[in-house]
Amino acid sequence: MNEVAYTPPRGNGLLRRIRKNKMAYAFLLPAILLLSTIKYYPFFTSVVESLFDWNGVNINRFIGFGNYAELLGDEKIRVAFANVFKISTATIAIQLTLPLLAALLVFRIRNGTLQNFLKVGFIVPLVVPMMVLVLLWRWMYSGDFGLVNQLLEAIGLAGWKHSWLGDPSTALWAIVFVGFPWVAGLPFLLYLAGLQSISSDLYEVADLEGAGPIRRLLSIELPLLASQIRLVLMYAVLQAFQLFEAPYILTNGGPGISTITPALHIYDQAFNYGRFGYASSIGVLLFAVLLALTLVIQRSVKNTDKID
Amino acid sequence: MRKGSLSVNVTAVALFALSMFPFYVMVVSAFKHQMQIYENPWMFAAPFHFDNFSEAFRQIRVPIVNSLLVTTIGIAVTLTASATAAYAFAKYDFPFKNLAFTFMIMLLMIPGFVILVPQFINIKNLGMYNTIIGQALPPAASYTAMGVLLMRTFFEGLSRSLYEAAEMEGASDVRIFSRIVLPLSKPILATVAIMSGLQIWNNFVWSLVVTTGDKVKPVILAITTIAGNINQGDGVKLAGYIIASLPLLILFFAATKPFVSGLTQGAVKG
Repeated sequence: MNEVAYTPPRGNGLLRRIRKNKMAYAFLLPAILLLSTIKYYPFFTSVVESLFDWNGVNINRFIGFGNYAELLGDEKIRVAFANVFKISTATIAIQLTLPLLAALLVFRIRNGTLQNFLKVGFIVPLVVPMMVLVLLWRWMYSGDFGLVNQLLEAIGLAGWKHSWLGDPSTALWAIVFVGFPWVAGLPFLLYLAGLQSISSDLYEVADLEGAGPIRRLLSIELPLLASQIRLVLMYAVLQAFQLFEAPYILTNGGPGISTITPALHIYDQAFNYGRFGYASSIGVLLFAVLLALTLVIQRSVKNTDKID
Repeated sequence: MRKGSLSVNVTAVALFALSMFPFYVMVVSAFKHQMQIYENPWMFAAPFHFDNFSEAFRQIRVPIVNSLLVTTIGIAVTLTASATAAYAFAKYDFPFKNLAFTFMIMLLMIPGFVILVPQFINIKNLGMYNTIIGQALPPAASYTAMGVLLMRTFFEGLSRSLYEAAEMEGASDVRIFSRIVLPLSKPILATVAIMSGLQIWNNFVWSLVVTTGDKVKPVILAITTIAGNINQGDGVKLAGYIIASLPLLILFFAATKPFVSGLTQGAVKG
């Protein structure tokens, strides 16, 4: 009896601390309720239902790893992941060069008015809805009178006129091409913010040492932009692997299945075929792939070293 | 330093012009009837057809109102949920604090498409299929994770002595929150409001899935089906795209600073 009484009152202490902080839990309540009902509950449903033959209405039958077995043999899955792999490679190549170039240029402009104008100007397209951009490009690609083909004709390349979205060999790249020259966007903003946070002392030292612009880029700017570069990489991968709007509007995965993406496949299986269980298993696969890629990027690209 | 600065300016301006070119063509053609677009797509041409804009507006008027409702409700939900939670994290030291925080931040790791299907069933079961609230809640919940993260940092940056002084005066927790913390946190509230608003207004996939017919159709869906008559042609569509972009553009130019800081901070924290 005594021994029990003398054990440190951990449970009680915890309870007391919980009771003392009950206001804290009250303040947490809205967010916890919102996230659990709207986000986490569906997430766990997704994992569980990926083991079921489920149509969202009356069929809900446990089939073990049946959906995953089907994934392995699904030609559309293979093409979809190959496509987003190509798209993310292209996106990474683009976003590590052109927006960086633009940010470096804008950063080096001496004329304050022009610099401010371009700073804002390159950000404006970020505010235009993605869907507007996609629809605009659909219009520019369309048919013989589409602007892309008209432009080719105007510059004497009429022979290059092409049904860009209708040909399996060009459709995927036509989708990547949306947003050309890919300068105005979040990467530009991140690079510019990164450049602006570099201490001017470093530049003065570089000047004293007689370092040219290339030397400065390689020894100061690129190393100090490592954090931003990592972020841009992660964004590029996350976005490319979940690409939906552009292929949905421009090609709907076609011609054939040449521009299908995992997101399109999930949408199609769930909402056109009522195969919610199978669609959930594609979602889980996508989650696993993205998690793995995120970890690889975080391990392989270091954050900027702190310089004091 | 002077050296090369002309070529820097010229290259930067050229890149900018190239970036703006599609938007330029969109604006030019939005004022034209189909024949004028065929004749010369590259320049403004008289007569200017403002009827394109009135026709496009007629077609997306109701969806714009729907989108405004969805976005307003979504922003309100995001702000309420994130501000209260962030306040709990910033002010109190309570058991399971780290666990609760991880719970909120983990959401950033779950890509939207992974939960698209069960989230649809869930919203349907909650009776929110084809409603305004059903369109607003999931994207609002998504942005709450980021909202909590940004606001916690900001609230913790407010002076400790402020909280202590208020407590000495006998102000209740709710009072400190609503009378002291919130008024001092307008910049971060604006940033979170703008960022969540941007994402909710632009959210295509979720509205595509969770709405049907015209009842609560948002503008982002409506612009995909705008059509002009034979004479007007594509100009009407383009006018509609411009109208759909205007609310965000106006907001951007009215509040450039919170916008830019929201975009950068959101990305860096995430």
